[in-house]
This record gives sequence, C-alpha cells and structure tokens, in this order.
Amino acid sequence: MIARCSPLPCTGTSRSDATAASAAATSARLLRHKTSTEMAEKEKRRSAVLPPPVPEADSRAARSDSDRDFLTQAGVSELLRGAILKMVEARSEDPIGFLADHFCNLASESDPGTGTGDGDEGNNGTVAGRAQEQQRLNRALWHLRLAHHSHRSAFSNNVRVAYDLLNELSPLLRVTDPPTNDTDQVHAASPRDEAGYGGGVRGGLYSQTLQCLCSEGGVPASTSAPLLRRLHCQDHEAVPYDVFRHGVLTCAVFSDFIRQAQRLYADVCCQDEEPVSRALGMAVIGTLKEALETSQGSGGNCAVNANTQTHSCLESNVKAIRYLEASAKLSPDMLAQAMAKAQTRGPGGSMDAKEFENAAAEVFITRVKVLS
Amino acid sequence: MSRFNPTVPVEEYLEDSNVMFYLCDAVTQLLEHKEEYTHFGVVRYFAEYFNSVRNSNHILFREYSYIKATPHNRTSFIRVFWRCYRQIGKSGELLSMQEYRSLLQLLCPDFPMEVVQCAARIVLMDDAIDCLMSFSDFLYAFQLQLFYQEFLDSTLEIYQDLLAGKSPNTVIVPTSTSVEQLPPVAAEEKEEQQQDGVETSTLAQCIEALCDRFKHNYPPRSCMRDILEQNDKVSYYSFLMSLAKHESVNQMIGALPSKADLLIDPEMDQELDKLIAQISVSPGSNSSGSAVGPLKDVQRKASPRRNIHHKRKIEVESDGSTEETDSSEN
Repeated sequence: MIARCSPLPCTGTSRSDATAASAAATSARLLRHKTSTEMAEKEKRRSAVLPPPVPEADSRAARSDSDRDFLTQAGVSELLRGAILKMVEARSEDPIGFLADHFCNLASESDPGTGTGDGDEGNNGTVAGRAQEQQRLNRALWHLRLAHHSHRSAFSNNVRVAYDLLNELSPLLRVTDPPTNDTDQVHAASPRDEAGYGGGVRGGLYSQTLQCLCSEGGVPASTSAPLLRRLHCQDHEAVPYDVFRHGVLTCAVFSDFIRQAQRLYADVCCQDEEPVSRALGMAVIGTLKEALETSQGSGGNCAVNANTQTHSCLESNVKAIRYLEASAKLSPDMLAQAMAKAQTRGPGGSMDAKEFENAAAEVFITRVKVLS
Repeated sequence: MSRFNPTVPVEEYLEDSNVMFYLCDAVTQLLEHKEEYTHFGVVRYFAEYFNSVRNSNHILFREYSYIKATPHNRTSFIRVFWRCYRQIGKSGELLSMQEYRSLLQLLCPDFPMEVVQCAARIVLMDDAIDCLMSFSDFLYAFQLQLFYQEFLDSTLEIYQDLLAGKSPNTVIVPTSTSVEQLPPVAAEEKEEQQQDGVETSTLAQCIEALCDRFKHNYPPRSCMRDILEQNDKVSYYSFLMSLAKHESVNQMIGALPSKADLLIDPEMDQELDKLIAQISVSPGSNSSGSAVGPLKDVQRKASPRRNIHHKRKIEVESDGSTEETDSSEN
C-alpha cells in the first residue's frame, strides 16, 4: 500500500534529485564550454600581445595544455562544480553573495588558523575562544539555511554537517584547569568525561542555534520564547544528534507556521486593516486546532504493541487517513462555515495581529514534546 | 527559501544573475595571474573575487568590455566613479569632456571616448560639446548613457526615423539602414524639424513598441510616459536630459543617491580637515594661497592612490579584512 497519499507536501527527495542531476549536467556542460572559451580567449589575447618568434601553433598548444594542467592540479573544476550545485540547491536570492559566503566558509575551514581542539591552547573563556565559537555558530547556521526543511534529504544532510561543526567545539571544553573564571567551564569538565570526545553539542550553543533560527525565520522573540523554553537545554548538557535534529526541525517548521499565521491574519482582516473580530479569530484558530488534533489521532484504533512490524502497514494507512481527515477540516468551505458561525455568536471585542500570532503559536507549541 | 514560489528552471536562475559570466571571468583572471594568486590558494582567491563582486569593487582597473558586460558591473562602475570624484563636485569645478574622460581612464584604462561624448551631448543638448560641465550634471547623464546604452541607441534611431518623416507604423529594426534609403529632404526643413523635435505621442508609441520586444534594460515606462506627456514636441536630447534628471530612473538604477545627497562625503571631509591642519601648522607655508595649491593636488592624488591600494590588497597578505573607506559608507 502506498504510504505517500498524504495531502501534506511529501519529501522533496525526488524533486531535489532531479534538480541536482540537471544542475550537474548544466554545470558540466558550462564548465567544459567555459574552459574551452577561456582557453580560446586567452590564446587570442596572448598571441596578440606577444611577438611570435616561435611558431604560434606549438606555443599556443603548449600554453593551453599547461593551463589545463594547472586547473586540474588545483582542483578547480571540482571546486566550481560543488559550488554551482550548492548554489542551485539553495536558490538564494543573492547568488553572488551566496558564492562569496560559500568560498569564504571553505577557505576558513581549510585554513589551519581556525583549528580543532588543541590541548595546550587553553584559550577557553577568553575572547578568542568566544570569537571562534561565534564563527562556528555562524557557519553552522549558514549550512542550516541552505535547504528548506521540506527537502528532507538535503535538509538532513545539512543538519548533520551543522551538528558536526558545532560538535567540534566541545573537546575544547575538556581541557580547562580547575581555577577558571567561567563557571560554565567547570560544569562542562565533569559530565563530559563519560560522553567522550565530541560527545555532543554544548547545551548553551544548541539553545543559541535555535534562537537564531527562529529570529532569522521572522519570528519575533516574544512569540518564540515559549517554544524555546520547551526545547531548552542546560548549558552543561551535551546534546546528542537526534535531539539536535528534532530541535532544528521544530524551529524551522515553527518559523514557517508563524509566517503562514501572519499571512492568514492579513487575509482574514483583508484591506480594512482594522483588527479582526475576536470571534472570527478564535474560530480560525479553533479550526486549525481541531485539524491538528485529528491528525494526531485518538490512539484507540492503532495500538502500538510489540508486533509493530506487522502493524506498520496498517499504521501508515491510518496515518494517511488521519492526514486526509485533518486537511478536510481545513478545506475552504469548512473554514467558511466556522467563520460564519462565529460571526453570529461568540465573544465580542477584537483581536489584533499579535494576539492572533500568539494564539496560533500556542496551538503549535502545546504539541511540542518537552525534553527531559 | 523558495518553497512557496514556483521553481525557476536552472538555466534561467543562472542566467538572471549572470553567475556563469563571473565564474568564467574568475577562472580567466586566475589563469592570467596564476603566479600571484596561487600563493594564497585557489579557494581563497575565489572567495576574494566574489566578495569584491558583492561589494562592487570588482570593476576597478578592469577593461571596458568587462565593465559593460552586466548591469551589476555598470552600476558598480558608476558608483565607484561617484565615490572617487565627488570632491570635484564639492569644489564646484567645471570640467570639459576630455577631462572627465581622463578621470574615467584612471579607473578604466581603455574607457572609450564615444560614451563620454554621448553623455556630454545629453548635458549640453548636442550644442558646443567643448563647453564645461558640472560634476552632478555630467554624472547623471553619464549614468543614463552607460546603464541604458542599448536602449538609447535604439531610441536615437527611432527618433531619426521619425524626424525624416518615416511612418511609425512600419516595423523599426534597430539595425536598419534607413538613413540611406530616405528620399532627399530639403536642408532647411530638416534643421527646423530638428530644433523642434518630434510629436511626443508618436515617439511614445514607438518607444512602447520598442520596449515590448526589447531584450536589454530600459528606463521604467511610467517615467518615460510622464516626461513625454508634458509637451507636444520633444527633441531627443531634451528627452534624455529629463530622463537623466528623473529621480525614479535614478532609483531604478540604484547606483547613486539623489541630487541633494550627491556631494556628502564625511570621511573625505575629515581627511581634508586633517591635511589642512597639518599644512597650516607646517613651517613651509606662510600664506593661505599656497595652502590651496598643494591641497588640490592632494585631493586629486588621494583617491586614485587609495584605489590602487584596494587592488593591491588582493596580492598583499590579506586576511579578508574589510576595505578602508568603503565598508563604513554602506
């Protein structure tokens, strides 16, 4: 049975693969074309400038060969191919800026200056250490921004890369001497021992990452605060990969959700710019809540027991049915019904954009698991 | 990200931003100067190249064909020209066409005379182009000429056809040789026509038709319509001058601030104040007159030298630090 009949957008795997393939083909073609064009251009310029004491054909061929050798030896084609693929995948609005950032990132990664945990450095807690951390954080955030969370495979890859980047910082915390000025470091030293080298992202860093993701996604701090509280990790805790991924995904989806809620409010209150009547606002939020509850399922039909393998088929069917039901609840006529009902009766007063946003956020946040 | 927007096909996305052009140029430059650039590593080189493209510094001292290759390059060049030489505007000096060309050649060694000539014609209304021009007049005309070059050429052809009495309903091909095919017109009639110009309604019609099929950039149609609606007849250069002065066109191009803000340059002012203080303190000068002479030379020298310093920064050990003046102005 097909588990993919959910009306919610499915993973973008097939789409991103196709795009990647066509991008690879384009880039290969362009690179070949480019190399031959620039060879030709170069040769024209060279032969125009230099007087030809040597028979031109030979020297031209020799020069173009040496150029090609130089390019292959420096690994320029792979470098550019990788850059083009990344750029096409991200489809940023500023491709030039994207490429600049991409190459800067690569340069600083291969630069020995940024370096990994060197036991004798002892610069933890100093300004240099913090700056390095900030740099790592920025690069991790850049990776997380590359693919939208609906492109699951690309997104997961990027999360992995970001996690590894942030993970590298934790070894530095191990080598502090007892008398440090920063209490965080003292906490960090002890529980880390059993976690081992690179045992997880530092809790504080993890929370910071989530905060940046939310604010970059356009969510005001007050709206994202309750969510961040739920996902919060203590600074001394080491965050494993699953938790990291869960947190990042939640924030990404949450930002989308809030943006959509903002748009929804704008649509409901239309051009007047007067605040929406409370009843109407509540009706819309209520419909959304109902739909979400339906998708969660009553749990009665599908009991999870030890024989989950045999039931997995059934489970995915039930899930699919639930999604269908949920989206049916969100269909335009259902919503219109709810809104019409609300206008006749319901609480008075008006609801402004901020309240609406908070209410929508609440609907989302109540479903987020609190980490123990 | 683009989840809620339709996906643009790969080729279109790459074309719109001229990214492949920049990649090609980067590789070409790398090959030409490989001895200089391999010292820092290829990745570092590409990072620097694209950073300079992003910061609009990439066109300095490059050849003219590179400058006019993409709209971004043209905008960057106009902006750099303005930043280098806005002190001239402050001093209120009027320069000739040749002098402006020399200034341009300091930034771009092979900058052609024709472009400067066309810009001068816009300012001077095609009249006595040896006259002196103010910096701001020249700058806006130059911006129009460089950025919308292709459009202006096509419009000129349309205008000349209309002047010669060709019917606007015929298909106007930009590369037409219509001038030779025209029946001989009496000389006095032509002169008179040229002074008055052509009917604005017909010109507007032709320009709309041109824009519908035009592949290059053109000024916003609403601006052109506004200008043409104001009079019954318009001459080519008066039309262009109005375009050059039009604020929306300026904003559309996005290279220069509005005329009121054109001459504001707080850093250079500070530098000059410092220099004046030094000169008046130094034992060499005893009269205010002698202070002005060296000051002017310093004005002229300071900016090109600073720019050469920018270019050399790529070759000198660079840790990606920002440029001296540019970043603080943005």
